Order: sequence, then C-alpha cells, then structure tokens
Amino acid sequence: MVAETHSPAVQVNSVSKAFGARPVLKGVSLAATRGEAVCLCGVNGAGKSTLLQIISGLLRPDRGSVDVGGHNTADHPGQFKRQLGMISHKSMVYPELTVTENLNFVARLYGVTNRAARIDELLARTGLTAFSYDRAAILSRGLLQRLAIARALLHEPSVLLADEPFAGLDGSAVEYVLSVFADFVASGGTLLTTTHDTRLGLRCCSRVAVLDAGAILLDRPKEQVDSERFIEDYLSYARSGS
Amino acid sequence: MRRFLLIGALGLLIASTWLGLTIGAITPVQRNVLYVHVPNSVCALLSFVVLLVASIAYLATSKPLWDLIAAACAEVGVLLASILNGTGMIFSRAEWNTWWTPSPRLVSSAMLWFLYVVYLILRISLPGAPRQRARICAVFGIIAFLDVPMVYISARFIPADVHPPNFSFDTGWQTAALMLGMLGTALLAGALIWLRTDLLLRRQRLEEELLQE
Amino acid sequence: MKHGWLGFKAIVAKDIVVELRAKQVLPTMFVLGLLIVFILRLAAESMPTGAGMPIMGAAALWIAFLFSGMLMQERSFATEKEDGCMDGLLLAPLDAGTIYLAKLCANVVMLSIFEAAVVPLVLLSFGLSIDGRWLEFVAVLVLGNLGISSLGTLFSAAVQVSRSQGSLLSIVVLVVLMPMMTPALFALLVLFGALPEEVAGFGSLAFVGSFKAALGYMIAFDAVFSVACWLLFGVILQE
Repeated sequence: MVAETHSPAVQVNSVSKAFGARPVLKGVSLAATRGEAVCLCGVNGAGKSTLLQIISGLLRPDRGSVDVGGHNTADHPGQFKRQLGMISHKSMVYPELTVTENLNFVARLYGVTNRAARIDELLARTGLTAFSYDRAAILSRGLLQRLAIARALLHEPSVLLADEPFAGLDGSAVEYVLSVFADFVASGGTLLTTTHDTRLGLRCCSRVAVLDAGAILLDRPKEQVDSERFIEDYLSYARSGS
Repeated sequence: MRRFLLIGALGLLIASTWLGLTIGAITPVQRNVLYVHVPNSVCALLSFVVLLVASIAYLATSKPLWDLIAAACAEVGVLLASILNGTGMIFSRAEWNTWWTPSPRLVSSAMLWFLYVVYLILRISLPGAPRQRARICAVFGIIAFLDVPMVYISARFIPADVHPPNFSFDTGWQTAALMLGMLGTALLAGALIWLRTDLLLRRQRLEEELLQE
Repeated sequence: MKHGWLGFKAIVAKDIVVELRAKQVLPTMFVLGLLIVFILRLAAESMPTGAGMPIMGAAALWIAFLFSGMLMQERSFATEKEDGCMDGLLLAPLDAGTIYLAKLCANVVMLSIFEAAVVPLVLLSFGLSIDGRWLEFVAVLVLGNLGISSLGTLFSAAVQVSRSQGSLLSIVVLVVLMPMMTPALFALLVLFGALPEEVAGFGSLAFVGSFKAALGYMIAFDAVFSVACWLLFGVILQE
C-alpha cells in the first residue's frame, strides 16, 4: 500500500514515437500523481494527442514505456485498462443506440457491477437523465460530449485522459465539463488534458506542461507559472525558460 | 557473391537444357518441358515456404527486413508459379489435347498462383503506415499458406489423377538433367529474392532520407 | 473469464441491435442475393433439360452467400470506425480474441438471417428438392457460413484499420476461401441429387470423394481458419 501511494498514477518514461520517418515524440517523460491535474499545451501537431494515445495503449511507443497505476501498459493490458478512462476527439458512442444503451454497453465491456444504479448515477451527474431514452444520433455537440464523459467515468477509472475536451463547446458546456473534472480530481483521480486554449487549460489543472515539436519544454506547478504571460504567449514563455 | 550465384544458376540451367535436349531427351518431345515445369513447381513452393517463415518472423520481431523478404518471395514465387502454370498448360495441350482441366493438381497449382497474386495486390493496395501494411500482409501470408497443405500438398499425394505423381525420368542422364534444372532454378530464385530484397531495402532507405530532408 | 463472456454478449447484442435499427446492410444484402439468384435462374433457362438446375442452384447459393456475406462484413468494422467506437472497444479490458469471436458471432447470425430468406427462394425457383435431408442441408449451410464469416471478419478489420477500399476485401476473402468451395459445392450437389453419394474418377469432385468427406473438409477448413483468424486478430488491431 505504501508503494502505491508514493508511486505516480501515470508515469511516462522517455517515450519516442515516429510515424514513418517523421518523429512525433522525442523522448518525452512525464509523471502525474493521484489528485493531480496536468494540462498539456501545444500547437497542432506538437504530439499531444499522440502522447495521450500512447498512454491509453492505443498506440505503442517506439521506445520508452508507460506505467498507469503501477502497471506497465505493454505488460499488463488487462489491469491498466480498468484504471483508465478516455475522452477523445470522437465520441466513441453508437448513434443508433440510446444514451442508456450506450452506457450499458460500455458497462458490460468493463464488467461493471450494479450497472443500472451506476448508469443512473452518472446520468444524474452529467445532467443527461432527461435524455436517457434519446438516441445518441440526435444529441447536440455539448450533450454528446457529456455522454462521452459519462462513458469515460463509468467504470470508475483512477486516471482520466481528455483530448481537447473543450473543442466545439459553448460557454455553459465548458463550465459543466470543468466542474465534472474538478469533482473527479477532488475525489483523488488523476487528470491529463490536452488543449491549445491555455486559459481553459490553466483553469482545470494543477500543473502545466508545454509540448513543442515532440519534446516537453516546460513542466511546473501552476502556482509557479506567470499565468498572464503564459496565456498571452505560452510558447515563448516556455522557451524563455523563466 | 550474387554475381556468382546468377552465373552459377545460368550455367546449371544451360547444362540442364543441353542434357535434356540431347542424351537426356524424353520422347515424345513435348515432355521435355518437364525439365522446366518440375523445378519451377518445387521452387515456387519453396518461395512460399520462405514467405511464410518471413511473415512469422516479422510478426515475432517487427523487423522491416522480414517484411521485405516476404515481399520479394511473393514476387519471385508468383513468377515461378506463372512459369509452372504456363508450362503445365503447354504440356497439357500437347499430352492430353486440352489447355486446362479441373484435375486436383491443376486446380491446386492455379489456386497457389491466385493466392500469391492476391498477396501482391494486397501489398500495393494498402495505404497508410508501412508497419501496418507489413503486419496485415504477414497475417495474409500466414493464412494463405494454411491453404497450401490442405490443397497443394494433399493433391500431390493422391494416386489417381490425369497428372501422374511422377513422370518417370528413366535414365540417369534424365535424372541428372532434372536435378541440374532443380538446382539451377533454386539458385536463380534465391538470387532473385536476394536482389529484390536488397532493392526494396534501398528504396525504403531512399524514401526515408528524402522525407527527412 | 466471466467478464470476457459479458463483453462478448454485449458486442454481439450491440451489433445485431444496431443493424436492425440502422438497416444499413440486411436490405442491401437481400437485394444483392435476389439479383444473383435471378440472373443465374435466367441463365439456367438455356439448359436443355432440368438436369442442370441443381448445378446452377448450388452455384447460385454459394455465390449469393459469398458476395452478400462480404457486403455485410465490410460494414461490420466500418460502423465501429465512424465515431471512434473501435478505439472504445480497444480501450476496454477485453482481449482481441474476444472482440473477434463476438464480431464473428454477430456476422454468422446476420448471414444466417440472410440464408434463411434466400435458401427457400433458391429451392423454389430452381425447383430443387433435398429429399428430406434437412439436417445435413443446414449443416452444410452453417459450415459454409462459418468459413465465409471467419475470414471475412478478420480481413474486414484489416481493410478497415488500413482505410483501404472495401473491394480489396472480396478478392482477399475469395482467394483464401477458394479451396473450401469445391467440397462446399460437392455437398450441395449431392443433396440436390446431381451427384451420387460417392464420386470416383480423376476430377476435382472425385478428389473430394464422398459427401462425408466433403463435410469433413468443410469442418477442417472452418476449424483451421477460425482458430488462425482468432489468434491473428490481435496483430491486425495493433495501432
């Protein structure tokens, strides 16, 4: 138990990844502990999504390794997958199924016990109760994102990966997502989000990391970051190293 | 090294042809095509065995070289299988007065050709990451080879067929001509696979260098 | 293990429910099957006596199953790809083999629905009788179905992950299935009364030999291919 509390929930050890001849990640290391929310900032193509996909096990690193909850993702796919929830660019829901059916499907994939109660609880938490019998096809972008979040949290993961969770959401939907994230972190979860919106990124995290051209430029707690300069131009802020 | 292989193969094939057409000649004359037909049949099968081994090795090690060897084997194997089926058809027309008949052996030779032609089509049709293409091709290489023992090899062992299991190469000279042909074709196939692998490897490196600039 | 079974059931049920609601594939499959049967029935008209009917009927059945089956299998992973659902399956703690078996099962069920509709139609339009051997007839159809589906499921995943054209699927599956088609045709021809129980001679049909041997071949093909595809499925899904 002692080892478990001290070991970071997510640990990325000098991961490299290339697509063909094009290197995307060049020896990236990153760690996050329980109750920590890390925001990865970077321009398009910096390697943020690739890094999250490697942590999730969807992509394999060329070099380096990833531990989630103390399990190496390459050696123990069964254990780490249960600890991991993911929100990606795509909703990962079936448009032909209703909201409840989609969640029930995921709950069965993860072998969640007491499914009906758990689904009701998440529907209430994400404010989808009124839509539970609607097919996913007719949901708006914001509601679909809530469903994606409910889907990711259904099996009570300890680590949540969110790839551009605010993209295409209006103000109130953003607030909603932020509050769900805050609850998740407060209950001891580890959150990793990517965004290029630094203002939102700073609001939902306790640590920021800047990824540029496949390498980590900056990685420090939020309190030590000059938030005004960071929001204004995070890249030159990270490059200046101050 | 490769030059010697090619020259050796050429020498053996010429020797085999010369022997086969002079002291080792089979009557009637059309049966002499067997000196080409039989070695190509054996070597085509051998190429596909190497393809299988390379496919398994690729899946086990993820080394791109194995994928290239498999590709080279498929190309050379299809070439040999084409000669196998072509000479077979010539033989069939001369011997049985029909270009093709669905006898198990002829069917199985045709299937072998089809399987690896599709392998080549699969290779050129798969876009995207080379590693993904390599994996899918390796999977197809293994699955396709599962057909070979079930069809090709079992068809060799049945007693009754229009195509007898062995045309008798009666005299020692005839056997010698066949064996020289066998060895020559095998060397040629080996050299071609080697050359092709090398070419594919160089092309891949060149592409990588061009992309990195 | 118990949890794997739950995931298996979930995927099978999901696939069937999604298809029944979206009606993306079954109607198209059915019309394609009808067209194939219709065209071959027209061609069969040229035969001087009714003797050719069993041959054309057997050919119509297998061609319809092959092409309609591949039409369906191509969709099988396309629906997963559309909203990133394939990632959702891969993120779940299921091994690739379980996903394969679930997809295979859903495809077998869907092709069986198709068979149930097309088979009576072929029997009627070609005027075929199977002389009360229903059990053997169903066994042959199920074995053929399993063969088509096991290879189709594996390679539709391959075609889908590599984002290549669906037309590739048909040649890849057909070429590997080709050796199974001889015993499959043999079995139907025996059931339709066009061939005796045992055939001697030189041709490919004589190579199969007897109805029992044909069933044996089909079982062997199904066993080898479904196990091989099950084992190799994980390789296809990587990345």
